[in-house]
Amino acid sequence: MTVIETEPPVTATAGELSGEAYRVAMRRWLRANLPASFRSDSAAFSAPGLQEQIAWEAAMYRAGLAGITWPKAYGGHGRTLREHLIANQEIGALAMPESVNSIGKELAGPIILAVGTEEQKHRFLPAILEMRDIWCQGFSEPEAGSDLAGLRTRAMRDGNIWRISGQKIWTSGAYRAQRCLVLARTGPLEDRHRGLAMFAVRLDAKGVRVRPIRSIDGRESFCEVFFDDVEVLQSDALGAPDEGWNAAIRVLEIERATNRMYRAWRFENELRHLIAACKSDPALAQLVANRCYEAKIGEVVVDIEVLKAHVETAVEALVKGDRIGARGSLAKLHWSEAHQRFAALAIELLAQASLPQLPAVQVARRRFEAIYLQARAETIYAGTTEIQLGIIADRILQLSKGK
Amino acid sequence: MTTLTGDGLQPSEFAVTAARAVADCAALGPRDQAKHLADDGLLGVLASQDVGGLDLPLAFAVPVVTAAGSGLLGFPLMEALLLSRALQDALPRVAEAIVSGGMLATIAWQGTLSAEREGESVVLNGWVARAACARDADCILVRIGTAAAALVPTDSEGVVVEDAAGLDLTVPEHSVRLQGVTIPAASVLPDSTWALLSSDANVLRAAAILGSAETCLALAQEHVSTRRQFGRALSYNQALRHSLARQKLALEGIRHAITRSVGEAAGPVEHDSVFLAAAAYGCAISEGALQVHGGMGFTWDVPVHRHLRRVRALQAQGDASGSLAALGRRTIAAIAPASDLAVSG
Repeated sequence: MTVIETEPPVTATAGELSGEAYRVAMRRWLRANLPASFRSDSAAFSAPGLQEQIAWEAAMYRAGLAGITWPKAYGGHGRTLREHLIANQEIGALAMPESVNSIGKELAGPIILAVGTEEQKHRFLPAILEMRDIWCQGFSEPEAGSDLAGLRTRAMRDGNIWRISGQKIWTSGAYRAQRCLVLARTGPLEDRHRGLAMFAVRLDAKGVRVRPIRSIDGRESFCEVFFDDVEVLQSDALGAPDEGWNAAIRVLEIERATNRMYRAWRFENELRHLIAACKSDPALAQLVANRCYEAKIGEVVVDIEVLKAHVETAVEALVKGDRIGARGSLAKLHWSEAHQRFAALAIELLAQASLPQLPAVQVARRRFEAIYLQARAETIYAGTTEIQLGIIADRILQLSKGK
Repeated sequence: MTTLTGDGLQPSEFAVTAARAVADCAALGPRDQAKHLADDGLLGVLASQDVGGLDLPLAFAVPVVTAAGSGLLGFPLMEALLLSRALQDALPRVAEAIVSGGMLATIAWQGTLSAEREGESVVLNGWVARAACARDADCILVRIGTAAAALVPTDSEGVVVEDAAGLDLTVPEHSVRLQGVTIPAASVLPDSTWALLSSDANVLRAAAILGSAETCLALAQEHVSTRRQFGRALSYNQALRHSLARQKLALEGIRHAITRSVGEAAGPVEHDSVFLAAAAYGCAISEGALQVHGGMGFTWDVPVHRHLRRVRALQAQGDASGSLAALGRRTIAAIAPASDLAVSG
């Protein structure tokens, strides 16, 4: 197990920094502290265990790399969204593991900030950033995947508690989470978008059962979660009853527009890794010098630049106080499809490596074969491609569906 | 990203003026168009105030060229904007004449000439092509060797402008043959000129394509909303809804990439990428709009084909295929082979 012994947090000195000085401070800290074994472009890579990952993310938080825009009163660093973008550019530039608490930091946290009570903000938010509470997202159900308004999990008010019964599915990371952001129905199914409420449910509560599902990459990263008359205190209800759908929409808008803002720069890191691996191998070096592959690499560069443009435009819109609304679908749709195209190109190229395979090629194959499989989910989760196209047609183009 | 301002001006403020001027130019010949555009201050957006221009950053030319694309302006506007700035130091009188609409200038984007110095003159020989409206132009900027450029009057002895086959009906391109054409050495511009022109032209080509793409999508949107089949508006059909949603995604990709390409941190990668994205997406949008129109899309009267032709011409003018491979080649060359540890950070 890798022991995370980081250099002193930079927040003590970086509090006054802005712009490029802030970028340099974040870059230096990350490069000095990210263990080589966490880097999937390294021969020393070994997938970190949960406790190692928790320690690393807690260290990142202390260094100012999580809760960047959250108010200081709730444990955040009180910085701007532009600085959040800068930090994410630096995070993306390195081949580090995905957060095990991105739901907490990028979905639950923002929604609690938006609709939570003061007590909830003080109780939930520091625990997320310090990695004491890992969150998962309980939205999708067997009968309500893309069509969330059709969800059937019920929440019945019983005095000062709610009783939740139902089943969630595709709940990423539920097996390791302490809390689940549950969307449940308080009214009849026919109410569709009305009568939905949101709760912060403890996963060690009586009546909660988590069953991991094995995914195509061989991992058990997402789960089914069963709720059997689970008691949830009113103090764990998020927002007013019957406002759950509005809260869910806000969550999904955030998820599509700003979640994992580092993606474009991680994508760039992946491209650099692929090219470096190819240039280390005689056969692949010759192959990528072919005009056909030069053009394919050029297409990837263009895809990345367009993704950066979508992200930066969204950040500027949010900085100006605009709601991102349906426009979050644009970046999500572009990124998910572009990343799949890139992953297919990567495994196509690496499959043509010389024999015996060099260590650099083996490292790249291990990384990009995993990315290829995981990327199949990217056009499914957070709203499928078809849902995103529907959102663009309905809400941006406002095309009529009437007769 | 940076919000660009010039004396408090915003680039978007030029959009309305440009759209109106483009509409007014519809019935005019090239020389009258030049005068009209100059009177509205649109030809000197980039040129220095010394030659009558506004001395504004490239971002301010974007809405002007977008309006020209949207309104199918039959004038080499991008060339005038870039040339008036490129010539302002070396040939200020020419730059001033371009800004005032008194001289019609263009650029031959394809091909390169050989040049031989003879005293205070230079003798040019060879073929160049993809020169927009060269038949009507007073002078043409041509490329010499790999980096230099020179301004050649079209009435010089040995200059032959030839009609070239091309898709574009709006801004016809010509080939130009130069046989022993003698020009003053002072007409040869510094070596950096061509690279800067080409790089900025890529942003403005993207802007022109954005204008065409916006119009095509608007036409397609109107068609699916008003055309009824099987008792319903076409927009009822998910296949068409998704097709238009993809076109919208592509359109916003061009728009956002243009914004990025005129930011403070933008360089050659951003300029090349915005053109390449616009060329690919612009073709998809205009071809998609044509398809959505069904048989009507194949008719001469529905203007989608004019935009499609224009987008294809701009794609070829910027050598999209060659640029894409070159972008990949430069990216590959900039990355060292993998060593044993952490190669991509």
